[in-house]
Amino acid sequence: MASCAFAGGCPSDYVAIAFSAASLIVLFARATYPFLVHKVASTKSSGFGLVIIQLVGSFNLLISLVMSINFLKIKHRHQWQECYIWAVWFEGPLGFGLLMSCRIVQAFQLYYAFVKRQLPPLRSRIFLPMILLPWIAGAALIHVRKPMNRWCHMRSQWVIPVVCLHGLYVASLVGVTRALRHIEFRFHEFDDLSQGITVSSISIGLWVATYILNELHEDIPWLQVLSRFLLLVTASILVLAFFSLSVSQPLLSQMSLRKREHLELKTMSSALGIRDNGIILRTAMLDINRPLDELLQHTRFRQSFMAFADSCLAGESLHFYDEVYELSKIPINDPVRRVYMARYIIEKYIVAGSEMEVNISHRTRQEILGTLDLAHPNLFSGSIIELIRLIKMNLAKDYWSSMFYVKFKEESLKESDGNECVTGLEFSPRLSAIRGSDNPFHHDNDFH
Amino acid sequence: MLSVVIESMGLLCSRQRSVNEADNQENVQAAEIERRIAQEVKAEKHIQKLLLLGAGESGKSTIFKQIKLLFQTGFDEAELKSYASVIHANVYQTIKLLHDGAKELAQNDADSLKYVISLENKEIGEKLSEIGSRLDYPHLTKELANDIEILWKDAAIQETYSRGNVLQVPDCAQYFMENLQRLSDVNYIPTKEDVLYARVRTTGVAEIQFSPVGESRKSGEVYRLFDVGGQRNERRKWIHLFEGVTAVIFCAAISEYDQMLFEDENKNRMMETKELFDWVLRQPCFEKTSFMLLLNKFDIFEKKVLKVPLNVCEWFKDYKPLANGKQEVEHAYEFVKKKFEELYFQSTGPDHVDRAFKIYRTTALDQKLMKKTFKLVDETLMRRNLIEAGLL
Repeated sequence: MASCAFAGGCPSDYVAIAFSAASLIVLFARATYPFLVHKVASTKSSGFGLVIIQLVGSFNLLISLVMSINFLKIKHRHQWQECYIWAVWFEGPLGFGLLMSCRIVQAFQLYYAFVKRQLPPLRSRIFLPMILLPWIAGAALIHVRKPMNRWCHMRSQWVIPVVCLHGLYVASLVGVTRALRHIEFRFHEFDDLSQGITVSSISIGLWVATYILNELHEDIPWLQVLSRFLLLVTASILVLAFFSLSVSQPLLSQMSLRKREHLELKTMSSALGIRDNGIILRTAMLDINRPLDELLQHTRFRQSFMAFADSCLAGESLHFYDEVYELSKIPINDPVRRVYMARYIIEKYIVAGSEMEVNISHRTRQEILGTLDLAHPNLFSGSIIELIRLIKMNLAKDYWSSMFYVKFKEESLKESDGNECVTGLEFSPRLSAIRGSDNPFHHDNDFH
Repeated sequence: MLSVVIESMGLLCSRQRSVNEADNQENVQAAEIERRIAQEVKAEKHIQKLLLLGAGESGKSTIFKQIKLLFQTGFDEAELKSYASVIHANVYQTIKLLHDGAKELAQNDADSLKYVISLENKEIGEKLSEIGSRLDYPHLTKELANDIEILWKDAAIQETYSRGNVLQVPDCAQYFMENLQRLSDVNYIPTKEDVLYARVRTTGVAEIQFSPVGESRKSGEVYRLFDVGGQRNERRKWIHLFEGVTAVIFCAAISEYDQMLFEDENKNRMMETKELFDWVLRQPCFEKTSFMLLLNKFDIFEKKVLKVPLNVCEWFKDYKPLANGKQEVEHAYEFVKKKFEELYFQSTGPDHVDRAFKIYRTTALDQKLMKKTFKLVDETLMRRNLIEAGLL
């Protein structure tokens, strides 16, 4: 046992490696499974990027431990097996640091959206490298000073700052999470976050203890073997726990496999439990001489108009109107749900290049993106005015002479048993050539 | 986003018309449907598909309206009347833009005093700005028209208007402001010219079928023309129209070299047009599609180029003014034209060389000029057809 304690390759080592390999397999399976099942196409969202980075970070952390703390019997170390690559770069900035930073970014985004009710000032792709910088700097310093011995261990004057850096990131994650504790999250984000923190703090505590033991007590063989066994096993658990406890939005978090009712729901508004209590008038009572924005509050009319707009490839404005209308049904005193809905609408319709970007001016867009209160009742009113004008000038005229209106009228007549005649209809000059799916945006998925 | 569209384009173009194979014999109904489709396709075959493309506010819809006027029945009275509200909306929006713009410039600009609205007009300004932010505009009465006229003539507003390039003021501003009395008439019916000037931001797609049958010609070609929105979010819809296009009529507003995009005020409109033209040219769908490039808004260009040097735009920064007056206008126009020509040949791969490319100098508002231009486009496309059929 004494020999394998230093050279590597004890039975317990292989057990630990097998354990970590198994945990990695589970990790990847969990990450890819939702994509195979739900065939999600939301790969563009920033949440997706963070998940991928987390996977990479987890993998790096585990492999760095295996490579740096002689689990395997390696007689001649090649250049790529060098301590500084694995024990420093892969364990720090590319492993543990990356993993923690991802979580901090997520918690920070939640903090901004729900506590400050603003869009985060920094995009995650800028923020993430920024908070990774201390890790990179630390790794570079160690690499330059080369304090490691031949077992990839450091002396205590190095171990203490290294452990402190690890601890600092855990502490800041706990700190940001504490700021969120008053928010009643709709989708158990806070539960996830706090559970994640409990599990990971325990395993981090254990992990740090074993790390210190492993680094400092090189002379006690059994301690070496035991500590490195614990090190890898707890790291595997940490990685798994960290990943499974997802912190993201409902529709974007198909990553999390927990059976939650909203996974089956199609729209954000139904996920948020907004009931349709729109004006359900008898259609026959609809006075088509009223202004368009008033007519659009009528659910059936809105749907008919939306179908028409979709057929002219101009549906996004109506879909946007529809979702903002849903948002307006959420009471003002329920800011959390309002923030959810607002964030969802912004990501889908407002951000430049988004899935169903609407045709609004630069200023209006910037106003929304720079808002100081995501729950504000008039957040989208400027853009709604612009779009209603756009719809009025472009589509309204053609709608009254379209098949969609005829159908709508017929249905409403049937409903009211009226015997009014629809006369004098010309057919719309809009698209005869484009037939097929009503929603032009649904095509886009087919191309991928 | 562009890259996604490009990617999907390739797939769209290479997709073949699916043909029922074994099912045909078994299912007579299917065969019947197939036959009808084939018939329809045959009937559609002689219809040539034209696309109007270009960035936002480049004049696509104006050309669309011209076609309606020139080769179709034009606008009947009801249609003309329906434009009154659009024109009034243009007026209210313009005056609000100018008023708010003046206020902003008075606060921030170095030479801020120029932009301070005179005391007696301040109240009018506030009132009009409030009206301009409403969803439904009031009817344009004589009193309102007078207020607007007073404010328009305010020195600060005029100063602001001269800085219109940073404010997204529509091109029709001056024309409508000068005609306010007529526009506010109780029995106002927009004229053809008013309709052409009216600014409507297009969303989605509109189409029109026409045949430019001249006085002398018997059987003109039948064209189907598609008009689209030009803002970035609208462009993703274009790909639905890209198949089987005879010619792309690409509009480039050459007067907009010192203006920023409506949808992104950090981007110069001319630079956007350059990138857009390049992107359209590289579409695999357009390998055999003719390109008619309309260098539009020449009327504004010839005035602007004498005041604002062409080289404020990054693309034209190697431009050197030559003379003044008419000569300078020609010189500047030729320079711009050459830039677009170079771009065309750069973006046209060696396998696309057999497509036709023509550049026209246009002012979409000018009916005579547009008629002439369309005649030329028509001739070019006819010739093209004959060549393809091996008759020339």
